[in-house]
Amino acid sequence: MISLRGVRKTYASPAGPVEAVAGVSFDIKEGEFVSILGPSGCGKSTLLMMLAGLEHASAGTIEVAGEPLTGPRRDAGLVFQDATLLPWLSARDNVLFPIKMMRLEREKYVARAEELLRSVGLGDFMDKRPRELSGGMRQRVALCRSLIHEPSIMLMDEPFSALDAITRDEMALVLLDLWARHRKTGVFITHSIREAVLLSDRVLVMTRRPAVVVADVAIPFARPRDESIQDTPEFNAIVAQLRGMIEHSIKAAA
Amino acid sequence: MSDMALPATPNQPRLSLAGHWVSQILLPVAFAAVVLGLWEGLVRWYQVPEVILPPPSVIGARIVSAWPFLLQHSLPTAIEATVGFLIAAAFGIVLSVVLVYSRWAYVALYPNVVFFQLIPKIALAPLFIVWLGIGSSSRLAFSVFIAFFPVVISTLTGLNSTPPDMLRLCKALTAKSWQVFLSVRFPYALPHIFSGLKVAVTFAIIGVIVGEFITAQAGLGYLVLFASSQAETPLILAAIAMLCVVGLVLYGIVAGAERLILKRYGH
Repeated sequence: MISLRGVRKTYASPAGPVEAVAGVSFDIKEGEFVSILGPSGCGKSTLLMMLAGLEHASAGTIEVAGEPLTGPRRDAGLVFQDATLLPWLSARDNVLFPIKMMRLEREKYVARAEELLRSVGLGDFMDKRPRELSGGMRQRVALCRSLIHEPSIMLMDEPFSALDAITRDEMALVLLDLWARHRKTGVFITHSIREAVLLSDRVLVMTRRPAVVVADVAIPFARPRDESIQDTPEFNAIVAQLRGMIEHSIKAAA
Repeated sequence: MSDMALPATPNQPRLSLAGHWVSQILLPVAFAAVVLGLWEGLVRWYQVPEVILPPPSVIGARIVSAWPFLLQHSLPTAIEATVGFLIAAAFGIVLSVVLVYSRWAYVALYPNVVFFQLIPKIALAPLFIVWLGIGSSSRLAFSVFIAFFPVVISTLTGLNSTPPDMLRLCKALTAKSWQVFLSVRFPYALPHIFSGLKVAVTFAIIGVIVGEFITAQAGLGYLVLFASSQAETPLILAAIAMLCVVGLVLYGIVAGAERLILKRYGH
């Protein structure tokens, strides 16, 4: 269980302090997949960095399993907008990169790396370097990399937003499948409403900077899910409801 | 899995092997041959005195006749330029690492390093002679002095070119800073470092030549000065041609090392 209580983040700037996150409180249960939805630049990424322990909250508390979060947490798997793979390493070695950085024994994880790559359809591409892979394939490698050290939580910062629409839809399904297999707690930052509804157990809607959570919507679809739920009236009703909330919050902020 | 069907597109259109041969080798060589031909023809047509500008054929003949002599003078120049370059490269890279990892060192040193670069460095050459005497140490020191700056600038740029998200990932994985340096930042910096090294190798030769102009009793710089005092223009140009060869060989070695290393660490 992760608990955020009154979390704020203020940055110093030449024009004075800038508030990026203004008093955010919510809980994430273990094994839950939560999407944080909001317009660009609303402080979602800052919040994610705080959840990873890479940024300190200016006020409020973040607790993981009852313990206050004070620094980087090794049990988090990070995925960024860009795949950020090391260009000189093969897909396999990129997946194993966290093992090297955490000074763990590589040999124990090679089979797991290969299994992860196979599970996302990259079984034939393990020895390829990033430049030999397409954007979607690179992001699959990044997803595998985030899971190699068996983290308890996956923190994903708009991981598909740099991809084309078709690849993006496909990646959402890859993630859905990967999540069904590994059942990690997931925090997924996105500004795609459909992606959020398809993937999540809950969707938090955030306003423009300074960010506050204006809605916490439970997504009622049973798991395992597949792409067909996107064609159901229930799915589209939730999408419309969330869109309305975002538009309302933007108008209210303007 | 539609994206898997798409081949990864290379960044630049590749020429065919024949096209590559024509554009990369034949064209520049042909251009140089045309210029040399024009030089030969014009000098002979207008009967320009050899002391002003000898034709390329005369310079060629002088290279052949003075070959052992030229070789003998090329050696100290090549050795000093190589040693100067190696010291500049090591010093430049180490200094950049210190500047990147120590905020205090950066604040204290970097503006001064830049300030020193604004001084016309050639003007300082005589000072090095005053400080270090007329031996090879003054030429070496001067060569290092003018060659290390491009290494510092390019290494700094390279070490700062690591994507911020990659550094965040390393931080999240609680990687040690030496691990991040060796496994991430330094390899990311290599293409930048090599562009600095390629500039530095030519600067190192300039440094040695300037030093030889002032102090040396041997070396191609000395030979150029000696030949000019004798109004031996073909020998001046023969020495300069040798200098080009030395420069090309040293540059070629650095560029070759770059190719090899970027093949391993290329982007």
